[in-house]
Amino acid sequence: MTNDKNTADAASAAAETALVDDDAALDPAAMLALMQNQQRSVETQMGAFVPYITLAWGLTWLLGFGALWLIDGLQPAFSLPLATAVPIFIGTILVSGGFSAWLGIRSGRGMRGNSASAFTGTVYGITWSIGATALAVFGSALQRQGMSAETANFFYPSAYVLFAGIMYIIAAAIWHAIPSLVGGCWLVVIAVAAPFFGYPGHYLFLALAGGLAFIALSVFGSIQQRRIRTLTNGGGRRG
Amino acid sequence: MDELDPVIHAQARLRIMAALSTLELDGSISFPRLQELLDMTAGNMSTHLRKLEDAAYVDITKTHKGRTPITYLGLSKKGRRAFEDYMDTLRTVLGEQP
Repeated sequence: MTNDKNTADAASAAAETALVDDDAALDPAAMLALMQNQQRSVETQMGAFVPYITLAWGLTWLLGFGALWLIDGLQPAFSLPLATAVPIFIGTILVSGGFSAWLGIRSGRGMRGNSASAFTGTVYGITWSIGATALAVFGSALQRQGMSAETANFFYPSAYVLFAGIMYIIAAAIWHAIPSLVGGCWLVVIAVAAPFFGYPGHYLFLALAGGLAFIALSVFGSIQQRRIRTLTNGGGRRG
Repeated sequence: MDELDPVIHAQARLRIMAALSTLELDGSISFPRLQELLDMTAGNMSTHLRKLEDAAYVDITKTHKGRTPITYLGLSKKGRRAFEDYMDTLRTVLGEQP
């Protein structure tokens, strides 16, 4: 914390002088702070979209799995028709997917990576489609071999949540993103724990354990970013 | 070794170099996006970029997106090395382990 304060002091000194003459140099400590703050500011600005994506997925989990739970969860007092619940589930996933893609593309505007990172990104993106399709085929094959509709109710959500969790962990490994690692591990845990809650409790469990965790992750990310923005004097925005 | 590279040792150019150093190896960023991230005026940024380009620290690539010309900027190998040396020297001057 003392280090942070020193950095902030040096940075504000740097920023004040910057307004006077940005062609001049400051003392070495202030220059080091200026450099570190600039790097942090750029990284924070580049990642500013992440909490929004995390929040969108948190709400998707709450609403989507919540809708599935409402089919039978509050019986006999209330029942959300299947024909309403499934479109809510699919719709929220599509909206969040589109929103994530749009924000991701927007944050990468004006950036050109090297060919190795383009390859990594493409393979990672395609892996989502391969995995999602493979699980659907795998599930229907199991149903042909006698998996009941009751068991399928547990298989599909857990399989997809498990897959998403592993993909988050892989993303964390590639892009060194700790929140993604935390979120991914949590998804793996809740995916395998969900069936123990039985039907339809497992939907409620996924809605709450997944949704609230992602919303918490989003809030934590926003606070972290605000802290860095304060520390870097509004993003090193001078001159 | 204790001499700080005068090309980098100016606030505006240090900020540009620091921002470019966050890009991946051989990565580049468009002029307007860098300007937005640094919140510098176009004229000021151009002036300092010219000095960095003269020292061959920055690679400048001009290309087109449709009919719009775009300028991409990235650290050259020499620039990346110079930036690392600058940081090491700065830390040595401050009595830290480089």
